[in-house]
Amino acid sequence: MDNTVSPEKQAFYQKLGEIAGAGNVLTGDKAAARYTVDGIAPRAVVQPASTKQVVDIVRAANESRITLVPWGNGSKQHTGPCLEAADTVLCLSNMNRIVELDASNFSVQVQAGMVNGELQKQLAEKNLFFPLDPNYMETSTIGGEIATNSNGPRRIMYSSVRDLVLGVTVVSPTGDIIHTGGKTMKNVAGIDLCRMYIGSWGTLGVITEAVLRLFPMPEASAGLYMTFNDAEDAFRMVGQLLNSPLTPSAIELVDAVTGHGVAEAIGSNLKDSDVLLIVNAEGTKGDVARHVKDVSALAKTNKAQTVITLENEKASPAWTAYRGSHGAMLDANNSVVQGKAAVPISKLGDLVQQVKKIGASRGVKIGLTAHCGNGILYTYLAAEHEALLRITDELKRAAASLNGFFLIEAAPLAVRKEAATLPLRNDYPLMRRLKAEFDPNNILNPGRLLGGLR
Amino acid sequence: MIAPSIIKELTRIVGKENILAELKDLLSYSYDATMRQEMPDVIVFPRSTEQVSAIMKLAHRERIPVVPRGAGTNLSGGTIPLKGGIVLEISRMNRILEINTADRRAVVEPGVVNLDLQNALAPLGYFYPPDPASQKSSTMGGNVGENAGGPMCLRYGVTSKYVYGIEIVLADGTVIDVGDYVEDFPAYDLRGLFIGSEGMLGVATKLILHIIPKPEASRTMLAIFDRLEDTSQAVSDIIGAGIVPGAIELLDQKMCQVIEQSVKAGYPTDAAGLLLIEVAGLADTLEKQVREISEICQKNKARELRIAQSSAERDALWKGRRGAFGSVARICPPYIVCDGTVPRDKLPAALHKVGEIAEEYKVLIVNVAHAGDGNLHPLILFDVKSPEEHKAAKKAGETILDACIAMGGTISGEHGIGLEKMDAMRHMFDPADIAAMRKVKDVFDPNDIFNPGKMFPPEAEAVLPKEKGAAR
Repeated sequence: MDNTVSPEKQAFYQKLGEIAGAGNVLTGDKAAARYTVDGIAPRAVVQPASTKQVVDIVRAANESRITLVPWGNGSKQHTGPCLEAADTVLCLSNMNRIVELDASNFSVQVQAGMVNGELQKQLAEKNLFFPLDPNYMETSTIGGEIATNSNGPRRIMYSSVRDLVLGVTVVSPTGDIIHTGGKTMKNVAGIDLCRMYIGSWGTLGVITEAVLRLFPMPEASAGLYMTFNDAEDAFRMVGQLLNSPLTPSAIELVDAVTGHGVAEAIGSNLKDSDVLLIVNAEGTKGDVARHVKDVSALAKTNKAQTVITLENEKASPAWTAYRGSHGAMLDANNSVVQGKAAVPISKLGDLVQQVKKIGASRGVKIGLTAHCGNGILYTYLAAEHEALLRITDELKRAAASLNGFFLIEAAPLAVRKEAATLPLRNDYPLMRRLKAEFDPNNILNPGRLLGGLR
Repeated sequence: MIAPSIIKELTRIVGKENILAELKDLLSYSYDATMRQEMPDVIVFPRSTEQVSAIMKLAHRERIPVVPRGAGTNLSGGTIPLKGGIVLEISRMNRILEINTADRRAVVEPGVVNLDLQNALAPLGYFYPPDPASQKSSTMGGNVGENAGGPMCLRYGVTSKYVYGIEIVLADGTVIDVGDYVEDFPAYDLRGLFIGSEGMLGVATKLILHIIPKPEASRTMLAIFDRLEDTSQAVSDIIGAGIVPGAIELLDQKMCQVIEQSVKAGYPTDAAGLLLIEVAGLADTLEKQVREISEICQKNKARELRIAQSSAERDALWKGRRGAFGSVARICPPYIVCDGTVPRDKLPAALHKVGEIAEEYKVLIVNVAHAGDGNLHPLILFDVKSPEEHKAAKKAGETILDACIAMGGTISGEHGIGLEKMDAMRHMFDPADIAAMRKVKDVFDPNDIFNPGKMFPPEAEAVLPKEKGAAR
């Protein structure tokens, strides 16, 4: 790596301090220690306090061709296709306030660096909540969750980021402020730019504020935890549940590899081939009671071994454990590869079966969690490099044969560099044009998302 | 004018039974549900993606404008062929290709009529939630083009939530697939950009839709009020109580009178306002919702509550609402439909303002609203023979939209910008916002073949927007 710094770049780092205040700029080892990403140590980290400061920083970076990495709390850095360059980290953690809470419109405008968990605390005081619950919600920022399209179990009831975000304010790679969406539930004024920024991984602009859709806290909730000896029974039950007029707020599945935390939280245990199906219901007391009754009956006819029902806040520890299982799997071993697959909803059971078969044939234990109502499966495995590549290749083929996809999200850098590629699509040329049009100098997160295209 | 050789080439692509180029035909494709009229040069009815692609290759080579069109029911001038050229009608691509309830998906061609899809899904116990008032005739492709809403979108959300994948033919004839049958593919959300793009980015030739099981039960009720303020306050109170009915539609007295003249839904003609409310959900908990809503209506001095006791009674109540625009058209064909939308709690203030504007401009305004979503549809009536009245009506419409923006709302909740609201875009967005939208247009359609001259205000007269436009 070239360590010489051109005078122009020097001037840029100088300018960062002028824009955001010297105390909000880190350089050298301080920047490198916490913000090294994909093996690249940034030369500077800047923490702006306002959209206006972001504008000034991005504009200066664009003029000097400095690459920027937008950063919330870093939960999803080291995920997916690798960065090609990362000169300066643009960290939004100081932009962490509620701008406007409009309780009677059920909307809130927040700065992008606000941590989801902190927002929920403040909303709870007004008996409101924002139903986005990705794994890292206690520490991840709203802006990061929007940029990475991070969803959680409740998406089956409340839908995903793209339906929960009413508008975003974005600083474009050329330093313009772009307003999208607004406060209304329905809005078709012009091209829907808001959706373009959701899930764009900070490659098209820096999200600085967002308007979110809120809901009143449900009157009641309940979680049902059902163990099955055979995953097939669990998926048959899921099919019947989805084909009913019931409206569960989550249908999650864990196996014995990923599920011990949850099992412990509910005072149960999982044997080797067991799976644990979690069905959550929320709404009025009557709605919840009806779900508990019907779901329990479905569990019985589908040979569930045990059914544990936890009402209201009694289910909280199990949910915390469920969300924590992702981090626990990754932390257990620094060579763990976490993949994600999506298949048609009715094919999820088939995929689970194939994944287990692939693991068995290679002598590798593959842990699983699934959003059963959305056809989404997360896999966790550890193996030596060559075996890993072979297995992930087989997983890609298995998902593709079911008309879905599998890709690597979190993994050691060498694995990501080699295998974090995306299946071919015929809309990639258009996506590349979009990136080139909005970020002509490729300064924002170069390599992310589209970098996985081969 | 298009050269005869082009017409010949188009005829070779679609066959002579799928092309119209005579004056009387061109006339009938020169308008939509708005007041403008412009003549196309030719109308083609392709039957396959391949034909659409061939048409686009030709249009691209010759730089001929193309306006995609479904049933032409849109309310913003979106399908008026402003610069002539080819009207590409997708109504003959109307097959339902696949319904898979276990995957919660339906795959359809864009010419499928919304209600036909509903009718195919109903026997399976499923439905596709967006239900625009035009659903009897509007096509799924058109619904996607305008990001259509409808009464039930209060509970279930609008078109963009239910379209997972789209096959699109681009301006040069390239066929691409955006989005997917499965969820979460990590990529730019091109389908999100395409939905509601009003035929300006490409033409959809196949749609992958999300379908859901029908609710177990539903109840429809009519709440009748003597004051419009009480009517809209009841809506705010229902939403504020955390109750999410399937739909809450508001109609004012004049609207009811107009409807009763033609549809005869049994609406009272002497009440100031009424709410048509439908609740949906599990059978055993529905009564509680009905009771709570009834109590809120009574607290807001509802003079009468009617609850439909049979599906015939339910249909009668809905017939009035669904026929609202048609009824107005019968007594006064020229009218302007506003589509301004405000934050949910601002509905009473917005309706009050509409009343003031009607007085100020001395125009007749009748009101119907998707009230739970804050989506107003004031219909401004005028005498087509009086240029002054027409002018006043237009001015009143613009003033209503500005009032919606000032309340933190938007100029369009579900009808789109088209030709009608191009100027109002400037009141809503900064020049940089509109420039970003234009960039998207350039990426999809660099030669401005698709539906040229719509949505974006002319660049020259950039003015700064009012306070409180989009998310600021």
